[in-house]
Amino acid sequence: MSEPTKASMPQFKAALRREIRRRAHEPEINFLNITAMLDIMTIILVFLLKNLGESASAVPQSDDLRLPTSVLRTEPSQEGVVITVSKTQILVGDNRVLRLPSRESMVQSGVGTSNKRNGPNDLYITPLGNALAKARKTDKILRQKKGKDPSTSEAIIIADGTTPYRLLIEVMFTLGQNEFGRYHLMVMQTKDKG
Amino acid sequence: MAKLSVAQRGKIRRLSQPKELAPDEEGGELNIVPFLDIIVNILIFVLATVAVTFTSTIETNPPAGKSAGVRSAVPQDSLNLTVLIVNEGFSLKAQGGNVAPGCLGVGSGLSISKRGNQYDYAELTQCAAKLKASNPAYAEENQVQISANPGIAYEIVINVIDALRKTPDGRGPLFENVTFGVSK
Repeated sequence: MSEPTKASMPQFKAALRREIRRRAHEPEINFLNITAMLDIMTIILVFLLKNLGESASAVPQSDDLRLPTSVLRTEPSQEGVVITVSKTQILVGDNRVLRLPSRESMVQSGVGTSNKRNGPNDLYITPLGNALAKARKTDKILRQKKGKDPSTSEAIIIADGTTPYRLLIEVMFTLGQNEFGRYHLMVMQTKDKG
Repeated sequence: MAKLSVAQRGKIRRLSQPKELAPDEEGGELNIVPFLDIIVNILIFVLATVAVTFTSTIETNPPAGKSAGVRSAVPQDSLNLTVLIVNEGFSLKAQGGNVAPGCLGVGSGLSISKRGNQYDYAELTQCAAKLKASNPAYAEENQVQISANPGIAYEIVINVIDALRKTPDGRGPLFENVTFGVSK
């Protein structure tokens, strides 16, 4: 019995090409390319976190500081030195300037005689005044550089809802004595005060 | 045409096998699914937190002292409304003098008493609107001075400012410009 004749090389290659084409299958999509989406999301996240951290309106709510609510719908002012009055302390910017006595004591004599300039009936809080004088100096230079009126500064007052009126007036009076002429009282927006 | 031999067919079968990529020849994609999970969670958390902390600011000036204040110059024929918050309710003072109980003319006594244990903000709005409407000359006036007993909470002061901001129907402005008075 004779051996069958082998196909020629061109015939062999043509058959090989045909077979490769037949066996080739569509490439599977094993993964989605989400790199572009990730880029966008990471940028949005960084942007939001940065905005949130820098915004003066980002007030952490805690038992020590709970803002009063208002039906007001205006945009919060971002301009000014931030004064925070919590249940236990007063801060100028991020620096604590005064530890507050109990609420009952504040109703009688404000922050206490030792922190006043001229006795218990005076409204000027000396430690706060000292801190505000420094803040005013910096703010004055800033306002000059920004082309704003440097004769007076603005203050954002972030106060706890239970702050007694007497303390509020003492803080405002001290601000006024340190050339702060416009105040922004920060409140939480609410839909209804039913 | 000559047919393919067995050896040639075997060779074709072997050579036409789809090539499997070695692990190092693959795309080398990182498994970023856990990372994505974290990012999405943080993003949702941040957006949700931003949504609940909407704040606003009330503009005001330094408090007016007993003798001299910064209250804007007001014409002679003005209402000059002052609201004093006391523990029992609101005492209103206007051009003519102390507003009588029930917001009825001039007279002594507390203008608006507490209802039960709660301050009557609705009545305060009604009374302020009534006083403003009592004379056409007061129509443009938007300034009110607020004073309070030393122990009154800041929250109540803000509620009073809110009550004096709009007319009872909530459409027209009432007294939007607030100054604070020093309590005696």
